[in-house]
Amino acid sequence: MSTDVSPPADVAAETAATAPTARAWRRIQMQEAALPVVVILLLVAGTIADREQFLTRDNMLTVLTQASVTGVVAVGMTFVIATGGIDLSVGSMLAAAAIAGGLVGEQQSLPFMLGALGFGLLLGLVNGVAIAYGRIVPFIATLAMFAGARGLALWMSDKTPISLLDLDVVRDLGRGRVAGIPNAAIVFVLVTVGGWILLNRTRYGRHVIAVGGNREAARMAGIRLRPIVTSVYALSGLCVGIAAVLLSGRLGSASPVAGNLLELDAIAAVVIGGTSLAGGRATITGTFLGVITFGLLFNLLNLLDMPTELQQLSKGVIILAAAALQRRDG
Amino acid sequence: MSDGVSDAAGAPLLAVRGLVKDYPGVRALDGVDFTVTAGQVHCLVGQNGAGKSTLIKCIAGLVTPTAGEIAVDGAPLPPGDPAAALARGVATIYQELDLVDDLTVADNLFLGHEQRRGPLLDRPGMRREATAVLDRLDHASIPPRALVGGLPPAAKQVVSIARALTRQARLLIMDEPSAVLGSHEVETLFGVVRRLTAEGVGVVYISHRLEEVAAIGDVITVLRDGRTVAASLDPATGRSTLITAMVGRQFAEAFPDRDPDRRPGPVVLRVEGLSRRPAVRDVSFEVREGEILGIGGLVGAGRTEILRLVAGVDRPDAGTVAVGDHPLPPGRADAAIRAGVGLAPEERKAQGLWPGWDLVRNVTVADLRRFRRRGLLDRRAERAEARRHLRSLQTTPDDPERLVSELSGGNQQKVVLARWLLRNCRVLLLDEPTRGVDVGAKAEIYRLIHRLAAAGLAVVLVSSELAELAGLCDRILVVADGRTTAVLDGATATEADLLAHALPHDEEATKA
Repeated sequence: MSTDVSPPADVAAETAATAPTARAWRRIQMQEAALPVVVILLLVAGTIADREQFLTRDNMLTVLTQASVTGVVAVGMTFVIATGGIDLSVGSMLAAAAIAGGLVGEQQSLPFMLGALGFGLLLGLVNGVAIAYGRIVPFIATLAMFAGARGLALWMSDKTPISLLDLDVVRDLGRGRVAGIPNAAIVFVLVTVGGWILLNRTRYGRHVIAVGGNREAARMAGIRLRPIVTSVYALSGLCVGIAAVLLSGRLGSASPVAGNLLELDAIAAVVIGGTSLAGGRATITGTFLGVITFGLLFNLLNLLDMPTELQQLSKGVIILAAAALQRRDG
Repeated sequence: MSDGVSDAAGAPLLAVRGLVKDYPGVRALDGVDFTVTAGQVHCLVGQNGAGKSTLIKCIAGLVTPTAGEIAVDGAPLPPGDPAAALARGVATIYQELDLVDDLTVADNLFLGHEQRRGPLLDRPGMRREATAVLDRLDHASIPPRALVGGLPPAAKQVVSIARALTRQARLLIMDEPSAVLGSHEVETLFGVVRRLTAEGVGVVYISHRLEEVAAIGDVITVLRDGRTVAASLDPATGRSTLITAMVGRQFAEAFPDRDPDRRPGPVVLRVEGLSRRPAVRDVSFEVREGEILGIGGLVGAGRTEILRLVAGVDRPDAGTVAVGDHPLPPGRADAAIRAGVGLAPEERKAQGLWPGWDLVRNVTVADLRRFRRRGLLDRRAERAEARRHLRSLQTTPDDPERLVSELSGGNQQKVVLARWLLRNCRVLLLDEPTRGVDVGAKAEIYRLIHRLAAAGLAVVLVSSELAELAGLCDRILVVADGRTTAVLDGATATEADLLAHALPHDEEATKA
């Protein structure tokens, strides 16, 4: 009736599986509800604390604009984490991409943008190839890029920022507005929507989550793992390139020290958004809300003249709380 | 042999009485009686699924029996308590040795019961002790400081036994200890076993190699369908007598009648000289449209590995796989799938499914290309197609938005089948399709397999259940130790034929 060990084990596992599944669902739903609630609580708290300035159209757009750099990077990071990987190098790559853009396009906007995007993509591709084909674990491969790309940025720029004051289009992207809406915020929203469609509505996105959710099953279903794994790091690099343009435009210069600690902010936003670090479960909406949560928090504490230490502290508390909601049932 | 209960002094070392273990839909043990006396090697034989592993897991306390009693020295063991079993001197050496490769021999021997001096590990003391134990097994040549990962298989086996001895084991249960050993290494193992029994240790020895059983055993017990069918046989009992006792399982499932109209068409799958040593050696076969080819053999004979090679999941050392007239590139699962090969793997949940996904996604994942409309997935079409195939297989519940983890084993299997039907595959590789599936659902899956073959699919079926192979297949390829040992006609093959070819032969010992 059965093979020696497995069917009983299998059957037992099956009966045991139903309860945790139901529980896991409740947890997921609770968590999906949790982040919007946090955002609303922050909005309410902000309105109470500062009726005049906080909940205004201008201030909300400021939040969106300030969050745009982290936000664009976090969208790429969501794809990486969806496969069960991690990208620690985004901050360093951002500086390197900005400097590379500045070197090829000091006078004109288009070469600058192509340079930044192209170099971001290239560095991301290096990450992806090292991980997928070189079989280096993502943590180590991107840790190497974290160190290497920063060094590259400092070396290429001779440790000095490159002024981009002549690049009208780039500066416009960073600080300009269309119909009163900051361009950076528009770019952020567009990248988010694009990422959402890519992840949820295309074959590629389905394959990304399949690889993260069950590598073995994905292979047996004919999905080629290495191209998928390579591509998510390349995508992360491309998002970094976009973020480099936004940040350089805002600052009016390409700085070799830009993007410091960006990786931590991006990973934190993705994780509190509900994407599983183990891979296989990813949500762009969650990532967006995660970015917004930190943006609102930062904005609110600033309005209240709270010291930056307190911002850091509350960020830590939020990450821990989100992780506690996300943890698996033991 | 069971009247020692009242008198502890005369009690056997181990007495198992009326042991029953039920799993949902499966009775793994159905009243097993089994007695081991001190200094005895008691061999346990039976085909896949006879209940050997469940029995030893019950004795070791890893599995809680539904009913029955297990007594050591006449005193009952608390059920389902591995620590108590260990404390009473029952030690088990499983097929997958539970040694830590990155620790030294001495560290492994004392893992979990380390000797200490104050708060620190007493490493010199443990090394001395390790040397003493290894010497007792006549293996003082194994250095206690060596890393276990670097030892040959036979030495690892000895370390496992030594580990049991450091815990004062008096009953040693060995599950297929010779499976990974060469023939001269088996001699070494026998030497160790004889030494232990001379000291009064009782040994339960499980093996598929009947020649070995005859050589080392004092008595032999045969299990079948979770029952003791022959207890304490003389080790001189002939091979054919044992095989007869091992087969003859009673099956509740009705296999579908052979359809006289089903005539295999042209050859679809052609496998030649396929090898991936040591698991698979020079295997060749052909499967025709509408044909069901069984692959039989014991667990570990290389059946699963053959399917993985055909499906391109693993890369062969040698040999070719062709579908139709097109040879497949080696080790490319995507190319095999494009050519029409679908694999339903043995470990359904680990390898075949995304338990947290709904049925639709699980069904369409291998063929998303066809649902692309201007780059985006047409989710309505996706859902409709998935539902159509799930319905054709009568998957319950009939709700494609359920999570696959909420389905029963049989229905999960259907989800995997639906995936390959949706992909229009021509060759279906089924690895233990009825594992973990209850009796009623099994019959349904049998009917499905026949239906799919009748529709023109070439089916390759791997199963541990000999009756399943004999009842379903047109032809049966029997493998042992990675080699083809026979190709039998499904209509006439009996379980005894299959088992006789599946049991590995030791050339010298067969004469007996």
